[in-house]
Amino acid sequence: MYSKEFETIFAYAKDKTDDIEILLSAGNSFSVKINEQNVESFNYADSKGIGVRIITGGKVGYAYTEKFDEETFKRIVDEAIENAKYTEDDDLVIMENYPENKDCPNVYSKELDKVDVSDKIQLAKDLEKYAKQADERVFNVPYAMYADGKSYSRIANSKGLDREDTQNYAYSYVGVLSAEKDDKRMGMDFLITRDFSKFDPKKMAEVSVKKSTDLLNGLPVNSGKYPVVFNNEMMATMLATFSSIFNAKSVQEGRSLLKGKIGQKIADEKVTIVDDSLHPEGFSTSAFDSEGYPTEKTVLIEKGILKTYLHNTITARKDGVRSTGNAARGYKGTLGISTSNFMIEAGEHKEADLFNKHDSIIEIVSLQGMHSGANAISGDFSLGAQGFLWENGKRKHSLKPFTVSGNFLQMLSDVEAIADNFNFDISSNGASSVLIKELNISG
Amino acid sequence: MLNENIIEKVIDKALSNGADFAELFVENTFNSSIAFNDNKTKQNIVGNDYGAGVRVFYGHTAIYAFTNDLSEEALLKAADAVSKAAKGGDVVTSIDLTKRDITNIHKVIIPNNTIAKKEKIDFIRKVNEASRGYNNQISQVDIRFMEKNQHVMIANSEGLHVEDNRNYSRVYVSSIASNGTEKQVGGEGPGRFAGYEFFNSIDPVELGKETARVAVTMLNADYAPSGKFPVVIDNGFGGVIFHEACGHSLETTAVAKGASVFVGKMGKKIAFDKLTAIDDGTMPNEWGSENIDDEGMETKKTVLIENGILKSYMVDKMGSLKTGFARTGSGRRQSYKFAPASRMRNTYIANGNDDFNEMIASIDEGIYAAKMGGGSVSPGTGNFNFSIGEGYMIRNGKIAEPVRGATLIGNGADALLKISMISDNMEMAQGMCGSVSGSVPTNVGQPAIKIDEIIVGGRK
Repeated sequence: MYSKEFETIFAYAKDKTDDIEILLSAGNSFSVKINEQNVESFNYADSKGIGVRIITGGKVGYAYTEKFDEETFKRIVDEAIENAKYTEDDDLVIMENYPENKDCPNVYSKELDKVDVSDKIQLAKDLEKYAKQADERVFNVPYAMYADGKSYSRIANSKGLDREDTQNYAYSYVGVLSAEKDDKRMGMDFLITRDFSKFDPKKMAEVSVKKSTDLLNGLPVNSGKYPVVFNNEMMATMLATFSSIFNAKSVQEGRSLLKGKIGQKIADEKVTIVDDSLHPEGFSTSAFDSEGYPTEKTVLIEKGILKTYLHNTITARKDGVRSTGNAARGYKGTLGISTSNFMIEAGEHKEADLFNKHDSIIEIVSLQGMHSGANAISGDFSLGAQGFLWENGKRKHSLKPFTVSGNFLQMLSDVEAIADNFNFDISSNGASSVLIKELNISG
Repeated sequence: MLNENIIEKVIDKALSNGADFAELFVENTFNSSIAFNDNKTKQNIVGNDYGAGVRVFYGHTAIYAFTNDLSEEALLKAADAVSKAAKGGDVVTSIDLTKRDITNIHKVIIPNNTIAKKEKIDFIRKVNEASRGYNNQISQVDIRFMEKNQHVMIANSEGLHVEDNRNYSRVYVSSIASNGTEKQVGGEGPGRFAGYEFFNSIDPVELGKETARVAVTMLNADYAPSGKFPVVIDNGFGGVIFHEACGHSLETTAVAKGASVFVGKMGKKIAFDKLTAIDDGTMPNEWGSENIDDEGMETKKTVLIENGILKSYMVDKMGSLKTGFARTGSGRRQSYKFAPASRMRNTYIANGNDDFNEMIASIDEGIYAAKMGGGSVSPGTGNFNFSIGEGYMIRNGKIAEPVRGATLIGNGADALLKISMISDNMEMAQGMCGSVSGSVPTNVGQPAIKIDEIIVGGRK
């Protein structure tokens, strides 16, 4: 698709640049939100954008547009050339026609595109209805929504590379508020899938209500050091928050704690962390990255040993290694590196066994303030949290909101046990519940 | 931006199935950003955001569609889609637009994109050199230089037709101090609703030094303690406490659904007697200011809390329909990709009359938060958190050693009542606030305040 646009830009840039790469994203999406059994909002999106990355005299420049006409296409090429003049980066940047990944899991469902709008609305209505019915302590259902979308991307460069990808997805979430005495708590549940029949609004509503009501009647925690279990969802959140420590660009620019630690033991031997762009159950699955480079499964930490960082071709060349296919860029952005389906591998314990390992354990089921209370450069975190006190293998009671603090690298070394309840979160970060030897709790 | 005839056709089409209200929002935005680190200009990008959004109301249902294609055909298609998403009454009106000129209360002297890149890079280099020159523990300086020029057109079925041009200028500096084993960061991000004259008004050397000073101070600080403490939060970004603890819960987005701790509290005491809080879009050239909101209404100065009594929510058009409170010009959105919602502008606690030194002197053991980081809140429960960027212990009524790495948590309904002193050094600081209608520029602000007790999430 969009061949005319690509041809126009390539033709205009041919004699003006050494090399050019064109990245296009287009797509449409739909969402519906329900409040008091009425449609609160419908949103329909139809969007597209095109970005160019050019090389001239060894320097790189960028420009993008959401306005599609010949004059604008020519202008962005000229702007990118002008921008390149002021770039001082001395990293060697090369564009190539990289080999194609032959086997990538299917990321598109024709069936999903055929779901009737009325079924989508009914799903969101049912989420709210069942949530209100599930428990009399529920006083509000601020979130009951369904969304889906289809996205198309194409990347091509002047060395002959030309790749395209079409994906679709659907997700839904429900958030409830329950109250007892002065205690108010929020509970959320979500599902992301390509199979509409997998949505079970009754089950989702009940899960979110239980998450909320279980937390009611919290008692204050005594501040101090405790063994802590992050449930699978919160462990995935922690992992995602600190994922930039594996980013080779951060390492090379002195922003990562893992600089110079390849081959060293940086985590407990129970810890294996991987990034897998080809995972069939992830929603960041793609056969190629934002340079068009073939993606792969990359083992970052194997049994506690740091094996590699995440690379694009520029950072890889600098380190004398191969790209891991983690180049990341939207049409509006510049080239960087990101995770795809990012996960800590499951362990062998049943989740309940984790709580038998100490007399007194704090279970964390909710975290707040990831963007402000966690510092990926120092590894330090101090976060708002909700959860429970466990004693002698039994969940004793809920806790009033408290804080948990520590250092992420220390935490990876202090992993005592990993459960087998692996799950991806809505952003394709995956984890099981994990017991950490000791963290600071304040309340 | 668009021929009035086309605008009328699009709005008529959007109303054609009996909708109560229809609106067209068109945007043409130029962005420019320079990213600098490792002593080099690393990335340089410019671009054009371009699109339109059509919104209709059927009762309390809002329907929104957007597209990048501004041809008559594509806009009519979007209008047709929103009109058919519901069914209204039989009365279908036709509209007549009157173009209204708006009063520009935020003068721009040097419009964005009129200054040579070299001058911008010279500015960046001065910041970089000042930071690195401050102390040899500074190991990296990241600088992002951003300019945005947003041209908007808003028309609706009530005959409104306005255009505005918005210039934003901001520089974000982050300095990293390292001693080989540990790293700490100091950041500043000054910005204005103004043109390049803003960059001419700030001293790049002071900016660089200040970020380096915080990073080095925190590198050489011990961890904060855990537990409940009295806290003095200083001015500027300290205002993030009001933004999170209270501001979001006063947006009709939360209030209309009953998902706010301040529902039903209008006219009632919700805060310390001496606390007055204001959300003001009219402050000349401030980061969160505007001429009109993204629903085309003139922006306003809105007193939210006066002497502890709740006086107003922040109300957008749909929020007004749902709650019955008058609009406050608070309908904002990141871009045409979002339907507008009630949002904050420049939100601050007004000056009180307590002396800063007396505040510190009143505490035996506590925390002084000189600079805050960001935070967040769950409006439905009121539980909020925010992090300290530069902190110190208070011991025996004096500011003592620096401490780091602490988040403060509390509950909005509760924390506002635990404020016991308010100083007179009000200052604002710039942030990007994320919510249902995207990420919008907002100022937070306050004079120094004392909170009698809050949970400090330290490590000792």
